[in-house]
Amino acid sequence: MHFLDPVSPAILSKVMKPARYTGYEWNSVVKDLKPAMVNFVLAMPDVYEVGMSNLGLKILYQILNQRADTFAERTYAPWVDLEAEMRNAGIRLYTLETKRPVAECDIIGFSLQYELSYSNVLNMLDLAGIPLLAAEREATQPLVACGGPCAFNAEPMTDFVDFFILGEAEEVISEVAAAIADWKLSGKLNGKAGILRQLAELQGVYVPGFYEAEYDAAGRWAGICTDIPEAKQTISKRVIPDLDQVMFATKPIVPFIEIVHDRIMLELFRGCTRGCRFCQAGVLYRPVRERNIETLLGYVQALIDNTGYNEISLVSLSSADYSCLSPLINRLTTRFKPQGVSVSLPSLRIDSFSIDLANQVQQVRKSGLTFAPEAGTQRLRDVINKGVTEADLIEAVSAAFRAGWSTIKLYFMIGLPTETDEDIAGIAALAQQVADLYKQIKGRRGAKVTVSVSSFVPKPHTAFQWFGQNSVEEIERKQRLLRSLIKDRSLSLSWHDARTSFLEGVFSRGDRRLGKVLLRAWQNGVKFDGWSDHFRYNIWMDAFAAENVDPAAYASRNRDIDEALPWEHLSSGVDKSFLVREWQAAQQGAFTPDCRHKECGACGVCRNLDVKVVDWGQA
Amino acid sequence: MAKLRLKITKGNEIRYVSHLDFAGTIERVVRRAGLPAAYSEGFNPHLKMAFASALAVGVTSEAEYLDLELTAAPDVAGIEARLKAQLPAGIELKAARYVHTPSPALMAVVNLATYDIMVPLMPAATLAAAMTSLSSFNSEVEILYIKESPKGRREIDITEFLAGPVTASLAADNQSLTVRLAIRITPSGSVKPAEVLAVLTGRYGLPADGGNALIHRTGLFVWDGRGQRSPLEL
Repeated sequence: MHFLDPVSPAILSKVMKPARYTGYEWNSVVKDLKPAMVNFVLAMPDVYEVGMSNLGLKILYQILNQRADTFAERTYAPWVDLEAEMRNAGIRLYTLETKRPVAECDIIGFSLQYELSYSNVLNMLDLAGIPLLAAEREATQPLVACGGPCAFNAEPMTDFVDFFILGEAEEVISEVAAAIADWKLSGKLNGKAGILRQLAELQGVYVPGFYEAEYDAAGRWAGICTDIPEAKQTISKRVIPDLDQVMFATKPIVPFIEIVHDRIMLELFRGCTRGCRFCQAGVLYRPVRERNIETLLGYVQALIDNTGYNEISLVSLSSADYSCLSPLINRLTTRFKPQGVSVSLPSLRIDSFSIDLANQVQQVRKSGLTFAPEAGTQRLRDVINKGVTEADLIEAVSAAFRAGWSTIKLYFMIGLPTETDEDIAGIAALAQQVADLYKQIKGRRGAKVTVSVSSFVPKPHTAFQWFGQNSVEEIERKQRLLRSLIKDRSLSLSWHDARTSFLEGVFSRGDRRLGKVLLRAWQNGVKFDGWSDHFRYNIWMDAFAAENVDPAAYASRNRDIDEALPWEHLSSGVDKSFLVREWQAAQQGAFTPDCRHKECGACGVCRNLDVKVVDWGQA
Repeated sequence: MAKLRLKITKGNEIRYVSHLDFAGTIERVVRRAGLPAAYSEGFNPHLKMAFASALAVGVTSEAEYLDLELTAAPDVAGIEARLKAQLPAGIELKAARYVHTPSPALMAVVNLATYDIMVPLMPAATLAAAMTSLSSFNSEVEILYIKESPKGRREIDITEFLAGPVTASLAADNQSLTVRLAIRITPSGSVKPAEVLAVLTGRYGLPADGGNALIHRTGLFVWDGRGQRSPLEL
């Protein structure tokens, strides 16, 4: 089947990377759309190369297209050059598969991976010709849904979104598709409210339009209330108890152009129970559930046959924690190396075991290694429950230098709770120590140590959700201090724009009142906020002022432990009491062990969601 | 070791895929097809694959050639069947045959490319006006043109790279021209069909909308001064 590009050759010849917009990729699915079918558009509010690299969307595409009653297509944010041409020529946002206007589909689902992509959601809806406000969309127009980690604080987006999906969507996405198919068959009985009431009954689905937000006398968030019977007081995330039983993306679309993760993505397990107190993913994806090694090897064979990729990346929150990693890598290399297929580990734990692994997978070329001490002193590493010591780092780095690596990346955060200038100095000292270590071991200079420093943003559902974020000025002061302390030529420092982190902090713990700020900022031209050349801080600040909303009240204010929080009706399954205990343990620098190998930390997720840790190393 | 020569197309569906990405696509096709391909040495093994000539982004072709080194020489019919099952939209396999080893690289012997350019006529433009502009272009003995590339600016004489006069006819839709040209590929470089078209519309008054031109490569040949052969006839 051939579909005519809505965009003319003249336009496509002018824009960067035109093959982002033309489709026809291997394994992309085209169906003959029958009126009764659900036309489901999966979207990422970012460019093609980023959207195409998202594993969640790959899995959902495969699950939805397996259904006879559903046809899933894709759309991504056109880059600014094409967007200008489209607006100029009156071309609406279209799907990659059949080039149909997105506005004609039944449902568009956005994956929200980071807060700074919210303005792109608005921009894409507008470019599609879909009304931005959920309240203004009729039953004849697409339903707008959002999933991904940011759905766990849905409030800032509630003006624009009909429903949110919390947690892992492998099962609930099918329930949603089936419900929409039935609703269409019934002639859209009871209109939009009819389908939303059905969807609200599903576990993991939040329909914000069914709730009113309440605020106290001081104007602080006081909770939500509803009189819709199907709307639950607390919406619990969906979780897949046994990952060996759900579909994996074994037949992913193979793009023509290079994407961010242009290789086989093999997800070993979900969750991470190391319990770093700043880490939202560590809470949202609990408990740890591993896939069986035999399941994984089967996936790899199918993936190689279906894609022709020759590189396998082992993706998980911390792949080195997979209990059967060594046998897995052995079997992968034994079986697939003769076929010219290599294995890579994207993230490494800081110990020499990791170095052995790195050696195992990178037998020839020593590309860089990355370590994440996250904080410059042991005191602060204890506060965040990092569970690694300086000795661990030194031992691992020494092993790496001896094994032939010379390029090391160190990841740190600044602006963590209880941080003092001593902790900042500790970052410089630790980096210097790593550089000196190379000279000791090799007898010459030549290490390349990159120190990458991001600014800490407190996230909802973590132990640090009560912490007032450092102000832009304070972060910039700490960045200057760090720059003044790093002198050695073999050290290079990179840092993030403090203003970007501030905006992220506002939206990550924001509430419904941010919707009008977002709308105004978008109207005034913000988009691609996560791309530094497109970030327009002043437009954002003007929008806050115009809407009379104080951004610092969301980002910089220390919250009370007993104060109502705008995300507490959206449950990760982890008890608030656990987060409180962790917040208190952080103040004392007390260690909470990994529940996989030590005692249960009583976070509540297994009990609340009736799931358990799956660890094949202990099976 | 065996050398397999393939003739493939690059169709409208993948018109905007760059040459490098097109090559990567073929590489994945070959791996999916499970051919006994030879790989380069080193950490990042690549297929030993060589194209006759790179195709510009936005240009389609009905005759692209590439050589692929294999570690064995299974029968061609089986290889064709396996490749065809793995080809994405926009790539067709037209022919495959083994060539003698050693034989010169395709890139070293292919020296002529023919193109059809489908280009919309400007509103109210006549075929006669188009013909007039073509004949004045074709009668020039020298057409200087500044080539801009990432490597810098270079002045070339377009006539040196044209293997014959540029011709045109009215396309089936009666609103477009089909412009035909044959371009020499020389060791010192070549000229792009889009560049020739830009000169035609910009300096010789060809009444056509160059921005919406669709360029199609119709053939790649080895020209020996007496006649032309396709790389499969060598």
